[in-house]
Amino acid sequence: MPILQKKNPVDFSFSLITALASFTVVLLIGGILAVLVRESSLSIQKFGIIKFLVSTDWNPVTESFGAATTVYGTFVTTVIALVIAIPAALGIAIFITEISPNFLKGPIGIAIELLAAIPSIIYGMWGLFTLAPIMAKYVEPALQKSIGKLPVAGMLFQGTPMGIDLLTASVILSIMIIPFTASISRDAFNLTPAVVKESAYAIGATKWEVVKNVVIPYSKLGVFGGIALSLGRALGETMAVAFVLGNKHEIATSLLDAAATITVTLANEFTEADTDMYLSSLFYLALVLFVLSFIVLAIAKFFLLKAERKYSR
Amino acid sequence: MNIEKRRKLESFIALLLSTLAAVFGLLWLVFILGDVLVHGIGALKLSLFLNDPTPPGVTGGGLRNAFVGQLLITVFATLIGVPVGVLGGTFLAEYARGTKIARIISILSDIMVSVPSIVIGTFIYAILVKPVGHFNGWAGAVALAVIMIPVVLRTTEDMLSLVPWTLREAAFALGSPYYKVIIQVVYRGAATGILTGILLSIARVAGETAPLLFTSFNNAFFSVDMKGPISSLTVSIFQYAMGPYDEWHMQAWAASFVITVFVLLLTILGRLIIKWRYR
Amino acid sequence: MRKVFTLIVVSAIALSFSVAGAEGMLNGAGASFPYPVYSAWAYAYNKATGVKLNYQSIGSGGGIRQITSRTVDFGASDAPLPPEQLNKDNLLQFPAVMGGVVLVVNIPEVKAGVLKLDSEAVCKVYLGDIKYWDDKKIKELNPQMHLPHNEISVVHRSDGSGTTAIFTNYLSGACADWKTRVGAGTSVKWPVGIGGKGNEGVANYVKRAQYSIGYVEFAYAEQNKLAYTLLKNPAGRFIAPSFDTFEDAAATGDFNPKNHFNLWLVNAPGKNAWPIAGATFILLAKEKKDSNIRTVKFYDWAFKNGDNKAKELIYVPLPKSLKEKIRAYWKANGIH
Repeated sequence: MPILQKKNPVDFSFSLITALASFTVVLLIGGILAVLVRESSLSIQKFGIIKFLVSTDWNPVTESFGAATTVYGTFVTTVIALVIAIPAALGIAIFITEISPNFLKGPIGIAIELLAAIPSIIYGMWGLFTLAPIMAKYVEPALQKSIGKLPVAGMLFQGTPMGIDLLTASVILSIMIIPFTASISRDAFNLTPAVVKESAYAIGATKWEVVKNVVIPYSKLGVFGGIALSLGRALGETMAVAFVLGNKHEIATSLLDAAATITVTLANEFTEADTDMYLSSLFYLALVLFVLSFIVLAIAKFFLLKAERKYSR
Repeated sequence: MNIEKRRKLESFIALLLSTLAAVFGLLWLVFILGDVLVHGIGALKLSLFLNDPTPPGVTGGGLRNAFVGQLLITVFATLIGVPVGVLGGTFLAEYARGTKIARIISILSDIMVSVPSIVIGTFIYAILVKPVGHFNGWAGAVALAVIMIPVVLRTTEDMLSLVPWTLREAAFALGSPYYKVIIQVVYRGAATGILTGILLSIARVAGETAPLLFTSFNNAFFSVDMKGPISSLTVSIFQYAMGPYDEWHMQAWAASFVITVFVLLLTILGRLIIKWRYR
Repeated sequence: MRKVFTLIVVSAIALSFSVAGAEGMLNGAGASFPYPVYSAWAYAYNKATGVKLNYQSIGSGGGIRQITSRTVDFGASDAPLPPEQLNKDNLLQFPAVMGGVVLVVNIPEVKAGVLKLDSEAVCKVYLGDIKYWDDKKIKELNPQMHLPHNEISVVHRSDGSGTTAIFTNYLSGACADWKTRVGAGTSVKWPVGIGGKGNEGVANYVKRAQYSIGYVEFAYAEQNKLAYTLLKNPAGRFIAPSFDTFEDAAATGDFNPKNHFNLWLVNAPGKNAWPIAGATFILLAKEKKDSNIRTVKFYDWAFKNGDNKAKELIYVPLPKSLKEKIRAYWKANGIH
């Protein structure tokens, strides 16, 4: 079937219209890249690429800007969020596919998908009003009293427990990506053919052994892809963390310190930057985030495609 | 302890742990939903829907402007995003089926779905706010449409691909041109699937805040002028929750409750349609 | 289903075109410092005249930015711009109302107006040199108080803010260390602390975090029942923030239309003057003749009718003589 239908004029125009519509996606991605580069050119010229990425300065008074603090904040919140979310999400996926009685599978599955649909601003607001006080009053002092006393790990829990810090932000972020990660992992687990699992049971494997030696190896690629996708989500999340991160442009050494991510910096400062260089540097941050998440998402897609190809064989 | 027992114990412990992990994950979510429910219902008042905001200190304010603004922005975003998405998906699943181009666009769309929405906000600010000279509702609608397009495009592509090829061949055999086949046969076959995709994409953008911060901005008054700044529920929630006034907090909870219910209803509706159609 | 959808769409379109631009909303954005009084004025103005003035509190930096790139009808800033910058960006500037920035603390044992601080102590807290509430320096200022050994959580603004400009100007004027290490401006590189968005955000964080200190416009402290502190002024007296002490600081100010009223009111010499006072300014784009007239109309109305509302919210209305100077300034620049 030729891509553009030349025989019938109506068909030709219809195929042309649809083609144009689908090319908007390419156009948008190219457009975003081009516009962000154009808008940040002032800052790119002044700070360059490497210097911008490694500079920890974010000083509107002297107009000296660098991305290191916000990239660091983005990285730390995302990693901690994943560390908390992945076990919980895998647990949920294992529970749904292998443990739960049949009548519970549907409802839990639906519940997870509904939870994935809750807007992120709701998570953020809940974090500020409910979670932050709990963290400040109970969790963080408890952590300081236990792990905080240890020699090296203790460094991570120094400072005043205010509840508005890296730890709280990461916890909210993790709660937000749990349903997303869980539902992708469940889909990946479900792809394991029943025959393979049953044969494992037939030779006397326990449930855990089936999960560990059959299901997980079989769905490894899909789960990796899902995790990478969640990573991409977490990198670009704004509202869930904007309320509780405290907007501090510094490399925090303690999890109880305030910090800033690229997204939160944009949300807070974008309409407020007073000089051209300031605004241009914010566009530059947006560009860094765009490129970063594009790469992560492309890697995720690569894994998922590979997984797909493997199963369709 | 013999091997048999050890294996059974190991299995038991591992399964217990994953069950606990599941409970841990679900508990948080129940906690959040419960909190939004309790605070939200407690703060729901008729005045929330009927009145416009009042300055801090004057009681009786509402968010009528934000409800209407949100509706306008979302409706226009849908009007822009859905046609482009559906047509684009049609190209990938029909005219360009199996080609390299279709594959690449499909993958790019998948990536585009997860591109940080705040980046899209900055992009739209640069092309639709700065040149125009003021914040405007259209910019907000376009920003949401940009988020919608890849979602709708991908679901349309998937749904059209599910329509059996033989159905098209039957129509070709009757001498129909391709566009007629698509519109009268393929779309009909995939209608419910596409509708679900649209519903879910609306649910997705209705809760977006970040792309609206620099585009539709906010407005303290009732306005339906899409050429000027317009209020939205999500941006109002952000402003009100960050603010220090208790009344603002109450209204933010109530608005969160409304938006959560709306998004969840759309999602449930979408699921029900799938279930009902593809049983 | 389809019918309902069509109905929604048609009515939405009809709605948005029928009213489009009919009433001509005025859009302003900027300083969060005067937000309570501007929104109260706008609310009353709308009731009196039907004209809608949408003021969004996004910070003074934002106000300057948005009027410079002409995305709003007027900008608002607590930091007066120097004449050179106004001329470069083709802007006009006039003060609208005056007020005071206060320090607020959240210490369970401490009520409003009890804790005494001086500029040196405030400076050291914000530099991170004083870390605990029972620091020797704070104890010396409050010999009779029992202060807890808790770490001080410093809260400042995260956005470009005129309140920050006023506050950092105060610190730079009173404390040499601050001037060399940080400096003054709408946003600075803070040595310590967490950043809240807007006066609202700082007030909210201070309210939520124990043992914290922040600086906000006085109206925010009052409305949120935050514990403000006393401050030692250049005359050597501990002053409580109040309408009178703000007015005392304002009285020493000599605003000059020739340099577009560019003036700071910090560290005023008056005996009862509150040391961190400031005026808040409106910025207009010279070439936006039409919207300027409407904006000026609003402020003219507010100058006539808004003094009581301003006082109620503990802002200091401009003295009569200054209002006349501003009206003359409008005329001289062709807005009437």
